Amino acid sequence: MISLGAYLGISFILFICGIMVMIARKNIIAILLGIELILNASALNFAAYTKFVNGNLEGHIMALFIIITAAAESAVGLGIVIRFFQLRESIHIDDASTLQN
Amino acid sequence: MNSTVVSYLSQSNEFQNIHAWLSKALGFDASSLMAFVIFAIVALIIVGVMATIGGAGTYAERKISADLQARVGPNRVGPFGLLQFLADGVKMILKEDIITTNADKFVFNLAPVMCLVGVFATLAVVPYSSGFILADLNVGIFYLVGMASLVGVGVFLGGYASNSKWSLLGGMRGASQIISYEIPATITIISIVLLAGGLSMKTLIGAQGGGMQDWFILHNPFAFIGFFVYFISALAETNRAPFDLPEAESELVSGYHTEYTGMKFGLFALAEYIEVFVVCGVAVALFLGGYNVPFDLGTGALFSKSLGLDSMLSQNIGQLLQLGAFFTKTLALYYVVIWVRWTLPRLRVDQLMTLCWKYLTPIAIFNLLGCAVWMYAFDGKSIFALIMAATAGGGAHH
Amino acid sequence: MFANTLFLLSAVLTLAGAVLVVYSQNLMHACIYLLASLFGVAGLYACIGADFLAATQLVVYAGGVIILMLFAIMLTGGTGNRTNKYGLEKIPAMGNKKTFMIAAFAAIVSALIVIKVTIPVFQNNKNLIVAANAPTVERIGTLLATDHILAFEISSVMLLGALIGAAVISRPRKEIHD
Repeated sequence: MISLGAYLGISFILFICGIMVMIARKNIIAILLGIELILNASALNFAAYTKFVNGNLEGHIMALFIIITAAAESAVGLGIVIRFFQLRESIHIDDASTLQN
Repeated sequence: MNSTVVSYLSQSNEFQNIHAWLSKALGFDASSLMAFVIFAIVALIIVGVMATIGGAGTYAERKISADLQARVGPNRVGPFGLLQFLADGVKMILKEDIITTNADKFVFNLAPVMCLVGVFATLAVVPYSSGFILADLNVGIFYLVGMASLVGVGVFLGGYASNSKWSLLGGMRGASQIISYEIPATITIISIVLLAGGLSMKTLIGAQGGGMQDWFILHNPFAFIGFFVYFISALAETNRAPFDLPEAESELVSGYHTEYTGMKFGLFALAEYIEVFVVCGVAVALFLGGYNVPFDLGTGALFSKSLGLDSMLSQNIGQLLQLGAFFTKTLALYYVVIWVRWTLPRLRVDQLMTLCWKYLTPIAIFNLLGCAVWMYAFDGKSIFALIMAATAGGGAHH
Repeated sequence: MFANTLFLLSAVLTLAGAVLVVYSQNLMHACIYLLASLFGVAGLYACIGADFLAATQLVVYAGGVIILMLFAIMLTGGTGNRTNKYGLEKIPAMGNKKTFMIAAFAAIVSALIVIKVTIPVFQNNKNLIVAANAPTVERIGTLLATDHILAFEISSVMLLGALIGAAVISRPRKEIHD
């Protein structure tokens, strides 16, 4: 039951869900949720390949860096969201249509 | 690989007999079935004992506060009011379960459960004794930190879902306080991990000894400061006074659980009291020698050698001694927590954040660096070992 | 058998959480479902013996990212205009039928691409060696401090930059309303 195919399938569905959330939602925070799903799907793939293809833990290191990047990304992203809300009183992504004020 | 309560029990003859009998009766290797049954039973025991400790915590809190304020405290139900917490529990179960009209019902019901799950999941790696630990994961303390942070989510969601301004303020305060104080607590834990050289609870405790001079709190000056940093952060993380801003009665009614009634409120209270026990247990395991008993009595080798007892029996006696050592230290710290609560006044929010970000976090980082330098400079020897070596060397010189 | 049970539970949690993140119309609920999904992923890591990875997942996501998300949701709770600057009605924040149709189309396209890429993996995975589960903490620590030291240092600098950057970006300024 625990096989490479199962893991790739799960990460595939996670990835598709993330894509759908990113495209369907117009709320910036909801889009960030979708990005988290996609990053998790890729990290899961790396870990699964480490287990089932070669046992040398490079995949775990890669997954760790993905998690670190996701944390940094969400911190900066949410900072931008909060600043954007202070300026426009909205977090609708269509309101983010100008580069300068 | 990971030692558990099952691997301890499997040393006994009875276990082998039952295993052989079951394997014969069922026709397959029954070891995983027995492991599952033993895990289930031990987990039930631990949950039961911890629920009792959480309940008894409320009783102890009221008795000790009464003592500190020269009152009598609960004394009607049972001898010395000992059954007060049972009466409280029955009252909470029988109370009406109110959900406010505009509450977010899904989140409202989920929040207390999330708090409780976060706390009970940490109990799996709390080291009660060398044999009686549910799972000695090799990421033990790291897992504990991760699971305990679920409590913050629960508090936050409880505050949000009630749809009341007291709850909202309490939930915001609680979450910001918990994630802020996680930082000094975790950095201090990392400095102890550095001294012990491993993340699993057995490694952390095995690096210490039974005598006071072998504890990590007296290992070097940085670890000594680290204990207090950890203890203050743990107080703040469990929302105990003087950091009980999320549930400050005088300003926020009672914070994030203002709108909760009946058993859901009971679950929040239970989670808080058990979390206090868990953080005290972690402080004991990291700094105060854990379950170690002086003179290596915990292994039971001395009993079987000097008294001629059966090896399993003497090992069991050793385990009981270790359990006693762990619970004595932990409950002593528990007393200190309650004592602090009824002694110190509450902080303001800005003072709370100043304490965390301007004092505790830099001190914790300094301690981490100090521990690393100490390990490098003195080869990991404790300060007592250095003093002993110096005096022994001096004696030889004369 | 227990490993299989744990795997099934984690997989169901992961997939149900992910699908509900797509389905849910309430942002707060979507955030909670995301937490469930991330816990499921941690369980999946535990199933293949990636113990350190599972614990890191718990610490970073449950303790950090999700609470940050919840904070951001609470701090940006305003309503905003329903129309854009041309006076046209905006698409609702959590999407409507049209956006979901486009999303489903994009999902199908990317699914076809991913399946096309991964077909060779399923065709010739007969001679794979499955590594036994072993404690990974020490080996990961050694790898991070030797082979991957540059990436490790760069990621620490990146985290510091993210910390300072987030604080600088989101701090309130005097002239908020331009």
